[in-house]
Amino acid sequence: MGTEAAFLAPVIPAIAFALILITGRRLPGIAPYLALAAIVASFVVWIVVFLAFLDDGAGTRSIEWFTVGGFEFTWGTTVDEISLVMLGVVSFVAIGIQIYSLEYLRDEPRLWWYFAVQSLFAAAMMTLVLADNLLLLYLGWELVGLGSYLLIGFWWERRPAAEAAKKAFITTRIGDVALLIGFVLLFRATGTFDISDITQLAHAGTIDETQLKWALIFIFGGAAGKSAQIPLHVWLPDAMEGPTPVSALIHAATMVVAGVYLVVRLFPIYNMVPDALDLIAVIGLLTALLAGVMALAMTDLKRILAYSTISHLGFMMLAVGAGFPGVAMFHLLAHAFAKASLFLGAGSISHGTGETDIREMGGLWRKMPFTTVAFWIGALSLAGLPLLSGFFSKDEILLAVHTGRLNDGFLVVTFVAIAFSVLYTGRMLYRVFLGQLLSSNDDAHEPGIRMWAPVGVFALLAAVLGAAAFEWSHNYLGFVSWVTDSEEGFHINAAITGASVVIVVVGLYLTWLIYVQRRISATVISRRLGFVAIAAERKFYFDEVYQWGINQLVLPTARLTAFIDRAWVNDIGVDGPGKTTRWGGGVLRYIQTGMVYNYALGMVIGAVVLGVIWWSV
Amino acid sequence: MLELVHFQILSAALFSIGIFGVLARRSAVLVLISIEIMLNAVNVNLVGIAAFSDRAADVRVFGQILVVFIITIAAAEIGLALAIVLRVFRNRGSANVDELNVMKW
Repeated sequence: MGTEAAFLAPVIPAIAFALILITGRRLPGIAPYLALAAIVASFVVWIVVFLAFLDDGAGTRSIEWFTVGGFEFTWGTTVDEISLVMLGVVSFVAIGIQIYSLEYLRDEPRLWWYFAVQSLFAAAMMTLVLADNLLLLYLGWELVGLGSYLLIGFWWERRPAAEAAKKAFITTRIGDVALLIGFVLLFRATGTFDISDITQLAHAGTIDETQLKWALIFIFGGAAGKSAQIPLHVWLPDAMEGPTPVSALIHAATMVVAGVYLVVRLFPIYNMVPDALDLIAVIGLLTALLAGVMALAMTDLKRILAYSTISHLGFMMLAVGAGFPGVAMFHLLAHAFAKASLFLGAGSISHGTGETDIREMGGLWRKMPFTTVAFWIGALSLAGLPLLSGFFSKDEILLAVHTGRLNDGFLVVTFVAIAFSVLYTGRMLYRVFLGQLLSSNDDAHEPGIRMWAPVGVFALLAAVLGAAAFEWSHNYLGFVSWVTDSEEGFHINAAITGASVVIVVVGLYLTWLIYVQRRISATVISRRLGFVAIAAERKFYFDEVYQWGINQLVLPTARLTAFIDRAWVNDIGVDGPGKTTRWGGGVLRYIQTGMVYNYALGMVIGAVVLGVIWWSV
Repeated sequence: MLELVHFQILSAALFSIGIFGVLARRSAVLVLISIEIMLNAVNVNLVGIAAFSDRAADVRVFGQILVVFIITIAAAEIGLALAIVLRVFRNRGSANVDELNVMKW
């Protein structure tokens, strides 16, 4: 088997999904193991494909799907560095998540349904990752959205969960409309959905520049919706209403990075349009900054992590915007494992204490030492503590912003955003794990092995993956160069690295003073900040503005449309002819007497009239 | 000497009598008989034209053949119609068309 076996990776979970749907109700017990077996098989496929890739290099393979007119549509897989990284992350994290779910959701009556949707999601995500054409990618894209919707709403009896699922679905759908418009624009310009063909045509200059620019901007709109970039980020914090393993898999490690993945995959085209890259960089940086500020104001542990995710997705977009898709992929990798361990750790904490509010936590390291270590590794990695993986990826991002196509203003703001990520990390870690243990948490406990093992593995990976950044041999010039096939080796800019280390140390010390030593009062600071603090706490009023927009614009428009539909289209257009006919019949039926000779008289008169007309004409 | 026009006058007279009968009679049987008279008016017309036409004999005979067909079908039709009238009479105790006013909504 070679790289062409990659198509098995999404197919196996899809089969598992079908099997679980058939057997689920009658044999709910086997559903988790079917799903788990399928995802392990996908991971094995990944290993096989990866080894084949090392020998043979990148490969694509496609079969015909259908032909319309002169256009042929295909199912196809692309195996290259980017899709392999994503495929590995997706299948590996999914294994950990599903093992974790076995214990975390042990008592759920609908567990079989949970695992069915997990399999569906895995199949869709791998389809998206491997797709060699935009149409297939769009198929996977929509299906992961469906999986996300179903899993956020897993506890649909709870109203907030149902609302959050709906919000996530509709918000990402707004982006998806833009995405579809972008794809269709590209299709209209090139007559193909094949990504490599489109890239070649774009490089040959056959696509009109304005059209290409708008297509790419629309596609980025879709990516922004999926990857929760401002202003379409509002769904991700609410998506935390779903089960925690779902948040870890879909809303931290895999699905939300699909937007970044798409932009990276299309980077050769984006690279030709500086305007689109500028937009990506600005949106990414804005997202990284604002989400970091909002994370600092949240009190719910999972929401802090959600805003942290948004912030890091912003960093990834920023790296792409700076012209370094490989850096984005590296941060994606580092972030995936760190954030998976963080979310699963948060799940362990709420499992052990029954709390998700960090004000109700504190001193948990005494009760949950293992979870504490794993959580700290994940969090500090993302904050950029030296030698953990996040330190290297963050360093690469700073370097990308510095050496890339952006001006130095971006670098300054990036440092500010990183400072915020250190601050919220410190606040979260100290509030949750240090300080006084609350009496309500006296019976907090470590979870069983099926929960702590995945957390530990992910934390370990988050700790050591930074080693991938280095230049290990003349074939491997560091992860970033490997992913993008570039000749440039790994290097460090001492000033930037030094500054980022200083920010980490100062930030952690500052939060230490505030939340552990309590030398500085957090309430005094937020009072000093006044409006800014309140605005951050209210999530910069995005939800309020959108709610206002929905109430004042969308709903009245919908009501007007509904009225036009009712009054004009339905009552006049459809019912009108029917009612007129019935009314006419009601009047005219009195002509009918039911008497034979009346009808005969009618016939005679008719015949006479016809005869008269015949003769007179 | 008989001319074509005499046949046609006879035919028109028969047809008018038939129409009058259909419209004026109240008994269903008499209405049927009037319809038969109208059919025979047509027959007279056809036979007359067949006899006086200046076409070849093998063409003229078609008019008479048509008449034979009409007589046959009229017999079948009157059999059916009388059966209906009989059923109506059995069910309603009368064959008066004034009382048969159900052929409507």
